[in-house]
Amino acid sequence: MKYEVRYKPAFATLFVTLQPGERIFAEAGAMASMDGQVSMSTGFFGGLIPGLLKAFLGGESLCLNQFANRTNTPQTLVLTQSTIGDIARMELTGNELCLQPGAYIAHSSGIKVQLQWAGFASWFAGEGLFKLKLSGRGLVFFGAYGGLSEVTVRDEFIVDNGHLVAYEPGIKMNIGLSGGIFGSIASGEGFINRLRGRGKIYLQSRSMDGLVRFLRTKLR
Amino acid sequence: MDPQEELIAEAGAMVAMSGFVNVSTTLRKGKGGGVFGGLKRMLGGESLFMSVFRSGNSSAELYLAPKLIGDILPYTLKETELVVQSTGYMASTPGVDIDLGFTGFKSLFSGESLFWLTVSGSGLVLLSAFGGIYEIDVDGEYVVDTGHIVAFERTLDYSISKANKSWAGALFGGEGFVCQFRGHGKVFCQTHNPGSFGRLVGGKLPPR
Repeated sequence: MKYEVRYKPAFATLFVTLQPGERIFAEAGAMASMDGQVSMSTGFFGGLIPGLLKAFLGGESLCLNQFANRTNTPQTLVLTQSTIGDIARMELTGNELCLQPGAYIAHSSGIKVQLQWAGFASWFAGEGLFKLKLSGRGLVFFGAYGGLSEVTVRDEFIVDNGHLVAYEPGIKMNIGLSGGIFGSIASGEGFINRLRGRGKIYLQSRSMDGLVRFLRTKLR
Repeated sequence: MDPQEELIAEAGAMVAMSGFVNVSTTLRKGKGGGVFGGLKRMLGGESLFMSVFRSGNSSAELYLAPKLIGDILPYTLKETELVVQSTGYMASTPGVDIDLGFTGFKSLFSGESLFWLTVSGSGLVLLSAFGGIYEIDVDGEYVVDTGHIVAFERTLDYSISKANKSWAGALFGGEGFVCQFRGHGKVFCQTHNPGSFGRLVGGKLPPR
């Protein structure tokens, strides 16, 4: 599988070439365009029941689309995300990666997608009840609203709520208020995420909640 | 703009211009012109009015910008026809005719804009997009999600259909409707889908 991320970082889009027999899996709605000979089929995200849970409790799509090249010639496919911003990829070689709701775009074959309970603290902070855990060997593509930064956490690191995109499972999340109830409300920082452990994390430079809060005041 | 030049643009696209540029508002003349043409254009998500900028006796500066953040693509028509998604049109030179086409009832289901503009004649058309614009030289068959089409050359045959063969897949697969192109010609696609970004943000906003 050949791929290239073009229009980085503002409008990053994934251009994929599937060789004969290759497949790629993508979030429902991620396909922008493709060659007429690419075969597309729909499956449930991590099985039917987790898919349903994810859709109804996590506010995300129920389905995962599979794109396969069943011809003898290379076929192209363009995948993108709903938000504008950067796209990153991570190659998994037996290690794991957790994705926050909305970050997932696509993965190659060889990757296993599991849905994990994220807990009520996560839901209360607007991060969703579930998170995606990807494991196996292959490529994972995920996106952000705004730019992406990779940070290696060694001990403790604090991230504002809504900016965490992906993290390695060695990291434990502790969601809390940034400084007392009153301070949190007054400063607009709201919830913060206190990350502990060792591993890589990915942050997005903007948050969807920030955009929504801005737009809300403009509505008449 | 050189002296005695004219440019037609979607109403509201002007950002800045030289003080002496003559601006008038028009209901476009030609095939898509008059009150009826204007009303048709309004149905297509475009403004009823167009602005005409004339440089007069000296060369002038004119800055135009689309509403959405993204790229602008200049396309030169040489007695050819280009079909433009109604929100993808930004401006054109006077030799270009703009006509509103109806895509048929099939597109009613797609939830995307119902109207295509057919631009024909000779001259320059400026297209705008949500995100980047990529060009596909179709030779055979190519599939584009209806929310990602900016424009395509009229030499192509197209039909709107479900992305998935099964109805369950079409309903839950999220891809909804796609445009299938056949033949030879260019398709211009936008990297991002305004509809899905709108739904993502709009879903979090309070109802009006």
